[in-house]
Amino acid sequence: MLNNIFLKTLRDQRRSLLMWGAYLVILGVIMALFYPTISKMTAFNQYLAQLPEGMKEMFGPGIADYTSPAGYFSSELFSFMVPLLLLVFGIGFGANTIAGEEEKGTLGFLLTNPVPRWRVVADKFAVLVVSMSALGFLFWAGLAISVSAMSISISTLKLAEATLGACALALVFAAVAFLAGCIKGSKGISMGVAGGLAVLTYLLYTLGGMVTGLKNYRFLSPFYHYMEPDTLNKGLSPVHVLVLLGLMVILLAFSIPAFIRRDIAK
Amino acid sequence: MNNDVIINTTKLTKYYGKQLGIEEVDLVVQRGEVFGYLGPNGAGKTTTIRILLDFIRPSGGSAAIFGLDARQSSVAIHRRVGYLNGELELYNDMTGEDLLRYLGNLRGGLDWKYVQELAARFQCDLPRRIQGLSLGNKQKLGLLQAFMHKPELLILDEPTNGLDPLMQHEFYDLLTETKKEGRTVFLSSHILPEVEKVCDRVGIIRQGKLITVETIESLKSHSIRQLEIHFAAPVPKEKFVNIPGVRDIVVQDKSLTCTVIGSLDALVKASSRFEVVNIISHEPSLEDIFMTFYSEGKNNAE
Repeated sequence: MLNNIFLKTLRDQRRSLLMWGAYLVILGVIMALFYPTISKMTAFNQYLAQLPEGMKEMFGPGIADYTSPAGYFSSELFSFMVPLLLLVFGIGFGANTIAGEEEKGTLGFLLTNPVPRWRVVADKFAVLVVSMSALGFLFWAGLAISVSAMSISISTLKLAEATLGACALALVFAAVAFLAGCIKGSKGISMGVAGGLAVLTYLLYTLGGMVTGLKNYRFLSPFYHYMEPDTLNKGLSPVHVLVLLGLMVILLAFSIPAFIRRDIAK
Repeated sequence: MNNDVIINTTKLTKYYGKQLGIEEVDLVVQRGEVFGYLGPNGAGKTTTIRILLDFIRPSGGSAAIFGLDARQSSVAIHRRVGYLNGELELYNDMTGEDLLRYLGNLRGGLDWKYVQELAARFQCDLPRRIQGLSLGNKQKLGLLQAFMHKPELLILDEPTNGLDPLMQHEFYDLLTETKKEGRTVFLSSHILPEVEKVCDRVGIIRQGKLITVETIESLKSHSIRQLEIHFAAPVPKEKFVNIPGVRDIVVQDKSLTCTVIGSLDALVKASSRFEVVNIISHEPSLEDIFMTFYSEGKNNAE
């Protein structure tokens, strides 16, 4: 029974969540299945050792030993693919949930009910966090079961910690899209702003590793706080995760007054 | 605060950027009244309603419902209001029943028997997905969700949009019952006969300005109508020229056309001296009525 906006929003997400969940599980399982083959290709490491420093920076600190489980999963999953997928999901959701509903014309209909606007924002954002957590959990579960079944020597806890970091990173940009939707009510603008910001801050992080002038500003990039801790090797860095989650909370805190203050288009 | 004033706006003004929405609209709607808000598309009807419901914020002036500020107390107001959107968009992937139950939950519960009663009256197919419903059937769901919690005030934006005549009639009956129960209705429309049929008073809005607020009787008394009378035999024009309120008389053989302001009584009596075959009355268009008020307004101002 749909008792509130939270449950209704979650219900609206059910198909999308199932689909994304399935993709992420499949991705984790397939990457685990490939590992035994990769682990024998020691030539990779020699190749990597020859790369210039800057290039190594681009792949993140986890790349050092590609044929080790941590190196492999870092570079194949956690340095690009997983955060990218979660970002696409998160930005899409963040843009769709307020701005998308407004463009469809059902937001005004929803606000006719005796529900304060802050509650609409809070409920919808809560669904974003819950959905992201569910996707992260599904991905991790698929991966953890696979590596255990195949006796790959990597800590499932560290896999969980790295997944948590990726979710936190994605939530930051999802919250940017969400905030843009609360300010402007346009799905296109929300996705554009969040997507653009993601690309720019990603470049700041990767190029920052090579360009000396930028190096001191890398901490401004959320990607820095996700990649730099090298979670799969060294474990969770609470400070960096808290920075990401803190950013998310700040963005949410701006979303509420922005949405309360403005005119609803439809 | 007078307890019987349900809607009260003072110099309510809304600009969208530089574009005028409404300007200095003063409205008072009393308890138990069916108030018609009449105007052509784009006149500012929906803008007014959206301010009342706190979807948009006025650039100037103020709006109060039940004596509560429309913005500060929007949640408390919404609890006592039923609203039908002009451009109705519902959640397409739900069934009618799921939608009404969900909205009922947001309102803290419903008398589901009353919902079923209404659904039966309007022949709503509640188990069907909204996606596949026709415009008229969606509109009926819209009406149901506005009436289902028996609100004190109904704000209905173009409520008969897409309804067939039978359902329109059912809706008018429902309005009459609502009024009998002492509840208040504020409805916008661009159809004059509809407003004449169901409303006690009418506010006419044009280009963002409230031109006049009148009772239906007084509106009719200076309404303009085009009339066409067909006789069995040719009639002399002289017999009609001096009738009060009758203008633009053209007699052609057996037929007479003219413009009548207000009552038709004198003209009908004059015609009855001849054998009348047919009387055709053209309902005044909204624009005709606006022109009357507009020219009157201008004359008063000068």
